[in-house]
Amino acid sequence: MFVSHTREVANIALAIRTEHLTKIYDVGWGRQNVGIDNLTLEVEEGQIFGLVGPNGSGKTTTLKLLLGLIFPTSGNAEVLGMSLDSAAYKSRIGYLPEGPYFYEHLNAPELLRMYGSLFGLRGPDFEKRIQELLELVDMWDRREYRVANYSRGMRQRVGVAQALINEPDLLFFDEPTAGLDPIGAKHIREVILELRERGKTVFLCSHLLKEMEPICDNIAILERGKLITRGSVDELLAGDVTQYRVEARDLDDEIIEQLGDGVAEIIRLDDSCRILFDSREDAFEAATRLEDAGAYLMTVGPDRRTLEEVFIDAVGEEPKDASSVQGS
Amino acid sequence: MRAVYRVAKATYHEGWRRRFLNGILVFAILIIGSSWVFTYLQPGAELKMLIDVGLGSIRFFGMLIAVFLGVRLIPDEIEKRTIYTLLSKPVSRGQFLAGKFFGGLATVISNVALMGITFYVVFAIKAPQFAIPTEEGAPQYSMEFMYANVAKAILMSFLELAVVMGLAVVASVVFSWILAAIFTFFVYFVGQMSEFFGHLADPETGASPAARVILGTIYRIMPHFEIFDVREPILTDVPIVWGYMGRTFGMALIYIGIVLALGYLFFNRREV
Repeated sequence: MFVSHTREVANIALAIRTEHLTKIYDVGWGRQNVGIDNLTLEVEEGQIFGLVGPNGSGKTTTLKLLLGLIFPTSGNAEVLGMSLDSAAYKSRIGYLPEGPYFYEHLNAPELLRMYGSLFGLRGPDFEKRIQELLELVDMWDRREYRVANYSRGMRQRVGVAQALINEPDLLFFDEPTAGLDPIGAKHIREVILELRERGKTVFLCSHLLKEMEPICDNIAILERGKLITRGSVDELLAGDVTQYRVEARDLDDEIIEQLGDGVAEIIRLDDSCRILFDSREDAFEAATRLEDAGAYLMTVGPDRRTLEEVFIDAVGEEPKDASSVQGS
Repeated sequence: MRAVYRVAKATYHEGWRRRFLNGILVFAILIIGSSWVFTYLQPGAELKMLIDVGLGSIRFFGMLIAVFLGVRLIPDEIEKRTIYTLLSKPVSRGQFLAGKFFGGLATVISNVALMGITFYVVFAIKAPQFAIPTEEGAPQYSMEFMYANVAKAILMSFLELAVVMGLAVVASVVFSWILAAIFTFFVYFVGQMSEFFGHLADPETGASPAARVILGTIYRIMPHFEIFDVREPILTDVPIVWGYMGRTFGMALIYIGIVLALGYLFFNRREV
């Protein structure tokens, strides 16, 4: 299923463009493992783009290709208008790897100083930036701790800070909230949203769909290295469904039966009931009647799917192998 | 240069945190510090024993540290994924490789310097006792050039270990770290005998033409590690001239240059 692009991309600045990008790993004995298969993507500047997929679907492979850590088997890609062969784009990007590791003998300011120096940053303004970044990720009070003594969450926080050290135009975040407590995860999501406000492009890889849904502008779903769907979050969640839903609690069967012919489908959930209608008018009229009958109304509106539902529709519920293995 | 320096500095500090290598260093210093005890095993040749044990230990333990540190530097960065945050920044693979080499080399040189200082102290205290006159009145050993020669021998160890470090780092880019360690040990020990292979390749030895080609090739491609071994002139108190030091330094630079260039060719296309 492909949600077609309705916008003309030719006139829009692209932060990332891949064209038939393919990565095949040679795993020995004449066998090959398809990491990414013919991936064509466009990520516009200034948006939060989410790349989602099951474990082993090729998200991290895509990131590594875009960062020049591995090399494509075929196809090509551009980051910030520059080819991957050019090292120049690396001055304008930031990267948070999944489960980041750092030199253990350093503390947070020393670590940021080391990374900053790679961009030629130094001096009082840079020291101030280090403090701002550590405050942003809530690590300033713990700045004297050595990395060797960090928890996973602390590594993640410092990882976000190092990714921002050069004020990049484009950020690659691989599972940015992994290992963080709910407050920490919310904090990082707020940082990501703020980055978009400042015109930055954020390329997120995650399988935490509930976290991706509220912050991403566009999403692509990968499975076994193949792009199986992409589009704006609104497009994907709306899908081709034209129904309206009323979801309510504390209602009995008698009330539901009185709703009449407008009801298209009734879905009983654990502690509530979802009633689907073919027309908007029927849905709102039913909502009024349910509320008058004493039901606790939860939602009324277009029957948008959750990203999780979109994902399961696209990928299927059965767990699958990380990627296909084929003989060469 | 900035990126090379930063990578090297981090590598140097991480290098000192490797307990296994710290253990080798402590053991080496204990052996070198007590090298004078071994002199009792060979009455009449105490000075030879002292120099053999002291300088031999510096070379041997220095080589162990260089190999085991060198073959782990880049694989550890890949396993721990610290390489991702570096190569995604304006750090080229050549700069990264050079930074790892120089950082590792600085660690080895610091380790060998500690061993060298320990030996020099032992030597300064004990050597004069062994330079006693013989019954005929002549000193058992002349000491005229010996102190300078010992210092130069330690400098030669630095050069030798720089080549070993280069080999180890580059081998780890091509092979797994265990295979890289075996490869480096192999090249080191065969390289100690390269003159011998050169001699065997000589037509006068009567070797078959095929054997001469093989032996001659080994002689030409293997680093000549024996050029760094200057124990003989120390024991005969022949000054190690600066000209020889300079030529050896030049040879070491050429070896390192070739090895790092080959390493760059491999690492530039290595996936991490």
